[in-house]
Amino acid sequence: MKPELLLSVDTKQRFSLDPRTKLYMLLIFSIVMIDGKTDGISFWLKPALSLLPFLLLLSGRRRKAAAIYLSVFCVSWITNLFLLDYLGTAAKIIVSLLTQLGMRWFPGAMMGYYLLSTTKVSEFVLAMQRMHIPEAFIIPFSVMFRFFPTISEEAESIGNAMRMRGITGKKFFKNPQAVLEYRIVPFMMSVVTIGNDLSAAALTRGLGNGKKRTSICKIGFHWKDLALMLVVTAVLLVFLFFSGGLK
Amino acid sequence: MIELKNVSFQYEQGNSKGKIENIDLTIHDGEVVLLCGESGCGKTTLTRLMNGLIPHYYEGTLTGQMIVEGIDVKNVSLYALSGVVGSVFQNPRTQFFTVDTTSEIAFGCENLGIDAEEINSRMEKTVSALKIRDLLNRSLFALSGGEKQKIACASVSAMEPKIFVLDEPSSNLDIESIRELKNVLREWKAQGKTIVIAEHRLYYLMDIADRVLYMTDGHIKENLPIADFRKKTTDELQSLGLRALQSEDFSRMKGAVGATRQLYIRDFEAAYKNASGGRKQKQKVLDIPDLMIPQGSVVGVVGNNGAGKTSFANNLCGLFQTAKGCMSMEGKTYMAGQRMKICYMVMQDVNHQLFTESVLDEILLSLDNADEEKAILEAEKIMESLHISEFREAHPMSLSGGQKQRVAIASAVASGKQIIVFDEPTSGLDYRHMKEVAENLRELSSLGKTLFIVTHDPELIAECCNYFVFIEKGKVLWSDGWNRISRERLQRFFAFEGD
Repeated sequence: MKPELLLSVDTKQRFSLDPRTKLYMLLIFSIVMIDGKTDGISFWLKPALSLLPFLLLLSGRRRKAAAIYLSVFCVSWITNLFLLDYLGTAAKIIVSLLTQLGMRWFPGAMMGYYLLSTTKVSEFVLAMQRMHIPEAFIIPFSVMFRFFPTISEEAESIGNAMRMRGITGKKFFKNPQAVLEYRIVPFMMSVVTIGNDLSAAALTRGLGNGKKRTSICKIGFHWKDLALMLVVTAVLLVFLFFSGGLK
Repeated sequence: MIELKNVSFQYEQGNSKGKIENIDLTIHDGEVVLLCGESGCGKTTLTRLMNGLIPHYYEGTLTGQMIVEGIDVKNVSLYALSGVVGSVFQNPRTQFFTVDTTSEIAFGCENLGIDAEEINSRMEKTVSALKIRDLLNRSLFALSGGEKQKIACASVSAMEPKIFVLDEPSSNLDIESIRELKNVLREWKAQGKTIVIAEHRLYYLMDIADRVLYMTDGHIKENLPIADFRKKTTDELQSLGLRALQSEDFSRMKGAVGATRQLYIRDFEAAYKNASGGRKQKQKVLDIPDLMIPQGSVVGVVGNNGAGKTSFANNLCGLFQTAKGCMSMEGKTYMAGQRMKICYMVMQDVNHQLFTESVLDEILLSLDNADEEKAILEAEKIMESLHISEFREAHPMSLSGGQKQRVAIASAVASGKQIIVFDEPTSGLDYRHMKEVAENLRELSSLGKTLFIVTHDPELIAECCNYFVFIEKGKVLWSDGWNRISRERLQRFFAFEGD
């Protein structure tokens, strides 16, 4: 199984959101969490908000990711607030760096992971259409998702061929330029061929013919989406007013 | 209706390959027309004229008039044809655009701007007509080549074109998938669609096609009703460079291999994490406790797609990090990591294994001989034996598919490895090129190499294999040399209904 960035098929989800809601939440969430304050309103607001990705991941049946996320956040938060003062200077720098990552960046990353791991490519493409992003961006973007696994297959196959010819680490140090060339040239050739074939097939199936594309996907805003958007907007406003905004 | 009036075309690069000259042709509604002929005869060009890729995508000089369903192909854009002519291409990997099967079937319709309800009802029709309900809502990356090809057919079918144009759709398919492709074609024919299909494998189309066009050098040499075409004997067909019309009967079986030494294979195993199940359950895709192969034989590795043939080949060459088991040859035992030193694989896509700027360099790279003069002499000898001396200075990427394959074989010979594995060496080849490959394989065999050939091509097997390993569900079902029983088993496996 090759790595896939977005979902390709439906998973049974009890709680499905519009991709646009997910994007909006990701944006607000990142703005609030990336700020480093832990005093005042942030002391209550951030731990409360940090539960959001946890619950969402649970609803998307990503239990393991949810558990890892919650424990990393809690440990970082508690360490940062209560334990840092007891450490020596050197240890303090290192530990505080790690905890900052854990409480400021990691939650945003997990929110992004939630977006990717619970959204189908076709849903995402449709959401982009609804947001009036131009076709010239959407088409390459959607084909890209289908291209990644193919590219990794090609690269793997070329890697195998090289090992079979004995072009390995030892030869690399003798002549690094040649070894890089051996890897890049066949790779480029096959990517170009695949790209050519793909474009020909796309044209015969009427891609980019200027008509407005339709979609069999169903996305749309429901009360869940509205509620969540209101909640995160409220959080943002509270955060901006009561903690003096971003530094 | 498709009408071509005095059409000539030549590709831009000044390459005369694939050109066509003064073609006059009428294809009526509901007709199923088979285009055949050797590689480079112009049959692919003809299909491209019909779906508009010529002149709108592939550039060149075009004269004459082409009218498809009343549309003059030259004067409209490609999009005007996209709802009228549906195209299926050779390579299943390079004709899908989404990541899941359901979206893929809807893809063409979505582009045409058909509304969602209509698409859903068309999808329902297509799915039940082509019997692919079990393929819905699956990841395309988890499908086999045959399944992908069926999805490509379904996607085109949902657009409900009047004409279907297929360019060698069976090249990458196994026998089971070809049977299913045949059912798809039969369904389209029953719906009264016009079908134009360019193909090397002829036998599966004999009771579907209405008319056969035989092409050479860009001309239509023969234009025969199917009944007349079927009267041709195998010898006649072979002199035209065509594959057989019947399933192979393996009557030309060779004697058994007289080898006394054997290769022992023990505990070949491979497992993947079950991709679809979600649970991290390991699924064994290869499980061979022990197997004996006469050294120096040409082994046909046979079985359906997904049976584990490729896993077997990869494991044999030690290509996976996870490769397991051992192999003994001439008293030495090779573990997975060491097998790469004695095994060489000629891949299906030979482009992946040609690295240098000239054919000579390619062979020198494998020789790895410190004494340059000696190495060049040796390389000359190898090139001579494989008839590639004339290309010694050419860039491997500028050669034709068959020539590239010979270069890959040459570097295998140069590397001095004793075991050479071929992955589908004849997919998409016509009779003459298949014979050439068989010739090369026999040549290699006479050098004392042991060859493993993973193939779906019954004619290649009949030409050159003398030992067989039949793999099903990751296990070796049987392995044997030529005898009455193995012959019958092969006949049954490659038999085509209606013969």
